[in-house]
Amino acid sequence: MNVRRHASIGFAVITGAVLVSACGSTSTVTAPSTSAASSASSAPTAAAVKTGNPAAAQTLSEAGSSLLYPYLQKLAPGITSAFPNITLTPAAGGSGTGQSEALSGTIDMGGSDAYLSAAQVTANAGALNIPISVSAQAVNYNLPGINNLKLSGSVIAQIYSGTITTWNDPAIAALNTGVTLPSTPIVPVRRSDSSGDTFIFTSFLSATNTTWASGPAFGTTVPWPAVSSELTAAGNPAMVDTCHSTPGCIAYIGVSVESAALVDGLGEAELENASGSYVQPASSTITAAVTAGASKVPASLAASLIYETGAQAYPIVNFEYLIINPSKITTSDTALAIRTFIEWAISPTGGATADNLSAVGFVPLPTTVIPLVNTAVAQITG
Amino acid sequence: MVFWILCGVALLLIVTPALAIVISVLVKAAPALKWSLLTNTTQNVQNPGLQNAILGTLVLSLGVVVVAGPIGIFGGIYLAEFAPRRTGGFLRFFSEVLAGVPSIVIGLVAYTAFVEALHWGFSVLSAIIALSLLTLPYIVKTTEVSFTQVPRSLREAAIALGLSKITTIRKVLLPPALPGIISGMVIALAISTGETAPLLYTAGFSQTNPTPGLFNNPIGYLTYVTYYYVQQPGAQDHALASAAAGVTILLVLLLIFGGRAITARQRKMVARLDV
Amino acid sequence: MILVRRRAGGLPTGPARVARTRTHELTTGDRVLQWVSGIAATIPLAGLLFITTILVIWAIPAIIYSGFTVFTSDKFFIGNFYSTNLSSVNGIIAPFHASYGALTFIIGTMATSLIALVLAVPISVGGVLMLSEWIPRQLEGPLSTFLELLAGIPSVVFGFWGLTVFGPFLGAHVYPALSHLGVVLPFFKGSWAYNGQGLLTASLVLTLMIIPIIASTTRQLVKRVPVLASEGALALGMTKYEVVRVVTIPYVRTGIIASALLGWGRALGETIAVLLIIGMANNPPVNVYGTTSTLASTIADELDSALSDGTGMALRAMAMLGLILLVMSLITNLTGRLVVRRISSEALPVGRGV
Repeated sequence: MNVRRHASIGFAVITGAVLVSACGSTSTVTAPSTSAASSASSAPTAAAVKTGNPAAAQTLSEAGSSLLYPYLQKLAPGITSAFPNITLTPAAGGSGTGQSEALSGTIDMGGSDAYLSAAQVTANAGALNIPISVSAQAVNYNLPGINNLKLSGSVIAQIYSGTITTWNDPAIAALNTGVTLPSTPIVPVRRSDSSGDTFIFTSFLSATNTTWASGPAFGTTVPWPAVSSELTAAGNPAMVDTCHSTPGCIAYIGVSVESAALVDGLGEAELENASGSYVQPASSTITAAVTAGASKVPASLAASLIYETGAQAYPIVNFEYLIINPSKITTSDTALAIRTFIEWAISPTGGATADNLSAVGFVPLPTTVIPLVNTAVAQITG
Repeated sequence: MVFWILCGVALLLIVTPALAIVISVLVKAAPALKWSLLTNTTQNVQNPGLQNAILGTLVLSLGVVVVAGPIGIFGGIYLAEFAPRRTGGFLRFFSEVLAGVPSIVIGLVAYTAFVEALHWGFSVLSAIIALSLLTLPYIVKTTEVSFTQVPRSLREAAIALGLSKITTIRKVLLPPALPGIISGMVIALAISTGETAPLLYTAGFSQTNPTPGLFNNPIGYLTYVTYYYVQQPGAQDHALASAAAGVTILLVLLLIFGGRAITARQRKMVARLDV
Repeated sequence: MILVRRRAGGLPTGPARVARTRTHELTTGDRVLQWVSGIAATIPLAGLLFITTILVIWAIPAIIYSGFTVFTSDKFFIGNFYSTNLSSVNGIIAPFHASYGALTFIIGTMATSLIALVLAVPISVGGVLMLSEWIPRQLEGPLSTFLELLAGIPSVVFGFWGLTVFGPFLGAHVYPALSHLGVVLPFFKGSWAYNGQGLLTASLVLTLMIIPIIASTTRQLVKRVPVLASEGALALGMTKYEVVRVVTIPYVRTGIIASALLGWGRALGETIAVLLIIGMANNPPVNVYGTTSTLASTIADELDSALSDGTGMALRAMAMLGLILLVMSLITNLTGRLVVRRISSEALPVGRGV
């Protein structure tokens, strides 16, 4: 009896301590403010940001976007040969994981195709989303014999809502006059993990279909409408695999694995852009889109490049972000390593070489964005 | 007769899947079964290995032994030797209730309380606490049963000699009970080796070998390798996942059969003592 | 000298017991041990209270936000983080369009575990009866080793096998045949994923996971059927089948029910295998092959995304799901153990089939 009472008191004390510290760490909720667009007039140049080889060996842990992952795999050997004390260990896992683990400090940098939401920035003061490259996303399908199918965002939204269920639906036929479409049922494939690819795909659907915009809208996870034949896959490579094994499938796949998709026999859709032309992802069409959107990038660097105007602009284009939470950085050496890596990665003589970019289908950051990136990088201190 | 045919089918359904699973794991793991499996970590791109995961699992197992072991053993001793009947029944009951808590719930609670609220981050200690909560009831139960199964002739001899309780427990009851206690620990280890859910959000995962440090220190473990890599489509990834699955099964089976061997030895020993 | 009366279990009652617990009979060492071990013995209770309290406290905001829609709504969405609006219900602020209806997961949890239970009990009992009645003693050992092997396979390996081998096999060979049943049972009509991911595959794998729990208990109980009764029945001219029906089953029936309840408890809480096999869709399945989700698998899958929620409500929703799961597991587990207590003093082999 005495023993039990002491144990109960002990447990109460422990729980009390937990609750007190939990209360201390609950974030205050305020309505998120719209990001202010300010021009960086006295932005530091790349030379002004302190970079260099750290004194002690630093391993930078990264996880997140499976769209960014192949690019980081390409960069990893290069950063170590340029700065021997910096080692990059990239991993995949989805942009949502990249965001949350970077914000909580579990990893040094989070890879994300999606910028941080205003609520996340409010909850984690000082958190940064820093673009290091520009990528895009393709829409692939499994219909042997049919190449370069034309699709619009509105039609795709209806497919993922279950309103259009077969490939020979009049809406699809209307976009593809002269092509005989099979009556195969459409099997939409979506990401099951919290995904930046989902973010940019649903941003595209929201921009082109008002029903989708007021319904599922966009995000790293969305309330997908229930479509009975819909399949899920975790990560870009799994999307390729699932679509390859399922006749009649349609899937959204990042350009960095697009070559695998094409080798597997999947078709790449021509998407209707804001100017009415049908384009496929290529470095010219991606560059056209990012050039159109570059002037609107705010100091917070949270910018959407979806559905830009321009005859050649590809509609699903995005910045590839590294999420960094400076308040979780413990040593100045780690901060130095992160700054050095980012500045090296965005430099055309460092990581952003034509070879590296073309291997994954990315394009370099627009020059007007670089000063904003430098300002942000300068805030990474240990 | 039809009844027995159905029963035969049932027996087949029990017997074949186990074999099928083990065989398919071994077959899929074949490409990855090289010595580099033990010397490389999962980080290695050309020849990923399991060194960090195996060491991580061993570290977590050691943690379970160190934390849940003494608590469970002492708890079992109390229930067997000291507890008044109603208190004992009460405590025993709630220990068995704890055994029924799903492992993901324990992981979720450990995550909210330790990783988040106490700001330990993904850490070795929160993982060990989660695993200990999971396995504690089994250790308590087997310890208690081991003590109560000691033949009463030994207890009576101790009472007749006027020994104090602590001496009785230490010198008279513990030796015959020890194999049972050990087998309980072994079962706890088998359970914690095979668990994934409670570790997902407490241990995080580390691609490098375990480092000292209880807080803010993610650690790798075998079951995560299987869980993560089976969801990647590449054949090499599946081979690594299978290899990790194979090593996990091997460890669990070694522990289970080792535990049962110890229990069988105990029964023989105890039978000899019972005059 | 002291007459020691015994209860079942070997613990003395009467004068010896009183002498044992009278304080002045204990040395200081004894008392230290009593205290230390007593505190240790309360740790499981403390842990249980800790778990329940944390869950309840963290779940309360989500419960207030959702009200009864937790049980009636199948819309579970942690919210649109990118909207500039927030949702406010009953004074709780959550991300825009956030909805925490758990009906899908409750259906998924109940459906998978009940299908697994309904299949596992006859298979376990039938298999054990076969093993004890017809299999020669020499083979019995090796065959029961397979049962122990099944018990020892970790959950993630079941998921691995289900995803890479069993699911595709079912999808290619079994489900096409099964769909002919769709004429009679509409739930069996429809299409399925090429890799078999869905409710039925997950339930079948769960069946394999709970068979060891039921089978090992049944085996122990069958061994303890009084030889006199079973042999006597045979002597009276009954067939083996009649002996089983008249003598064995009534004797082991309560134990089977108890172990079935324990197995059900395990199936409810099974996380990783289900996560890999069931397809993780946030809506109830359209047919028996359809993808859906369970409470446990949703917590494991969505906890990651829940961390991105700036309002913190997604984490509260996870705690709410955990609380529902905990209550369901506790009810089945408690009922099982109470039934066992009634029929024998020796409780069941401890749990996860090991």
